[in-house]
Amino acid sequence: MAISRVLVANRGEIALRVIKACRALGIESVLAVSEADRESLPARSADHVVGIGPARATESYLKVEAIIAAALSSGSDALHPGYGFLAERPELAEACAGKKIKFIGPGAESIRQMGNKLLARELARSCGIPLIPGSEKVGNLKEAARIAKDVGFPMLLKAAAGGGGRGIKIVRERAELQGAFETAGAEARAAFGDETLYIERYIPNARHIEVQVVGDRFGSVIHVGERDCSLQRRHQKVIEEAPAYSISEALREEIRTAAVTIAAKIKYENAGTIEFILDQDSGRFYFLEMNTRIQVEHPITEAITGIDLVREQIRIADGHRLSLSQPEVKFSGHAIECRITAESAQDGFRPSPGRISRWNPSSGPDIRVDSHGYEGYTVPPFYDSLLAKLIVRADSRVRAVARMQQALEDFTVSGIETTIPFLYMVVCQLEYIRGRVNTKWLEGMLESVPLPTRGPDRTARQEESP
Amino acid sequence: MTEDDVLEILNLIEKSGFDFFQLQTGDLKLVVSKGGYMGSGTVAFANDTAPAAQPAAAEAKKEAAAAQPKPKAPVVRDGTVPINAPMVGTFYITPEPGAPPFVEVGKRIDEDTTMGLIEVMKVFNAVKSGVRGVIAEICVQGGEFVEYGQTLFLVKPEGSTLKSRPRVSAGRPTSKGKR
Repeated sequence: MAISRVLVANRGEIALRVIKACRALGIESVLAVSEADRESLPARSADHVVGIGPARATESYLKVEAIIAAALSSGSDALHPGYGFLAERPELAEACAGKKIKFIGPGAESIRQMGNKLLARELARSCGIPLIPGSEKVGNLKEAARIAKDVGFPMLLKAAAGGGGRGIKIVRERAELQGAFETAGAEARAAFGDETLYIERYIPNARHIEVQVVGDRFGSVIHVGERDCSLQRRHQKVIEEAPAYSISEALREEIRTAAVTIAAKIKYENAGTIEFILDQDSGRFYFLEMNTRIQVEHPITEAITGIDLVREQIRIADGHRLSLSQPEVKFSGHAIECRITAESAQDGFRPSPGRISRWNPSSGPDIRVDSHGYEGYTVPPFYDSLLAKLIVRADSRVRAVARMQQALEDFTVSGIETTIPFLYMVVCQLEYIRGRVNTKWLEGMLESVPLPTRGPDRTARQEESP
Repeated sequence: MTEDDVLEILNLIEKSGFDFFQLQTGDLKLVVSKGGYMGSGTVAFANDTAPAAQPAAAEAKKEAAAAQPKPKAPVVRDGTVPINAPMVGTFYITPEPGAPPFVEVGKRIDEDTTMGLIEVMKVFNAVKSGVRGVIAEICVQGGEFVEYGQTLFLVKPEGSTLKSRPRVSAGRPTSKGKR
């Protein structure tokens, strides 16, 4: 039976993105909203709106029962989880299956297997994909010390239940190991309910390269190219590009093939992303993790392939075959995405919620803005600070950078602080333009010149950053 | 001009003494900077490379100041000074769910004591006391949504801070009129 009504279990720009994809397919959309989001742009755009609870996400967007109840009461026959919130919680996929609601994403088994980083590593190993030298589950400090001898310092202590840049602790020397082991375990238990840790070698000169894959229930799995997400701050991506630049075609092909191999092995259905770390010193790449959902940065892939990934997701969930085969995927040009957040970069990236008094996004050929912002909108303090994704495309990387500079200059937001001026600074840097970056480059640039003013003390409860 | 030409020019810029360069040829306009993050003279949006952006930025500041919400009226009680919320957000009185609270009534605190956390947009900000004394009253509950300026604690001041105005060391959102 074809999907006729989709419950959108998310908020912000991705909710709007899904609503638009539904509309393009002639499918009705129902948006699940918290009290804080009743006046949001996606709430105005959706065909129907269902209230699911108070502003706080733990009582609304993170509540499986509330989401399922909203889907059932609204007569939705499918559910799109977006990214974040419940997107990678197997319980939601399972609950949907139990109620005969089509989950627009992979099956609960795939989510579970890839959600545990140790299981994911094991799977990659069984496919012959290189892994960052490290360990399996580390049971105690003694074991950690023994593994550390082989791996060497600095090394990373990672939570098996972590992912998306969360639950990572860097250990620079032997003396730090005991303290780091104890706090990382406690933090992992508090944040993920699982204290299992493992060890990975720290790769100082790394690029983050990830491959977009899509698979259908008939066993077809293809890749839709790769993205370079090396510009990060506190393990969170800031600027992404497609395709990956300054790597050989042979290496590109190898990484793409590795991704398809892993996805095919688990008969992956729907859209997913396999992340790799490329060691620029040795030229070798390693499996990092898999994200079993649509990614924030999916538009840059769309920009260079012309494929609508969210639409593809819905079609796959509806039981269709992939709309194209591997040879039919064509790449053209270079795309860049900047994540514009409601933060004050000058003030230690202090969150800046509040009312937008002026909203003038950039526009033009090959410029795309995915955002839920509008003039008069009050950015609530309860959720992630992502406000807009600015995506540009051009024939070459240099031209794409130039276009991004212009697009950032043109993008005006008043009333709240945004990271637009900061992003503009970044894309003007010579090293960035030349593509001589690694995953530490952005933070290094931020440190190289002290920020003029310091923001309030930060205590990251969940995301631990070295 | 081809991509290779541009890269060649970038090589020259790298070797040159210029910190700042604007390349304009045909339909390509590229701004190139060699470091300097928001230092004087290199602030991109206060530079002549982006003349249009400057008034916009200034205006943004002004409008941000205008949009600054009125602080919630603090609680006033004789003999005590309030510690007010430096920002809007969810107030937490414990470092972790289930953990003992940072402070309790009757506890002696100094200016740097962490009183609690305020979560705003998934970022946790420590609220510093800013005053030396003994906690007389806790005015909010853990997990409560607090407004900017709302009184979180009342403190019986001691020693040198008796005459000084209470201050909230974390945040100080009013100092720049930015929120």
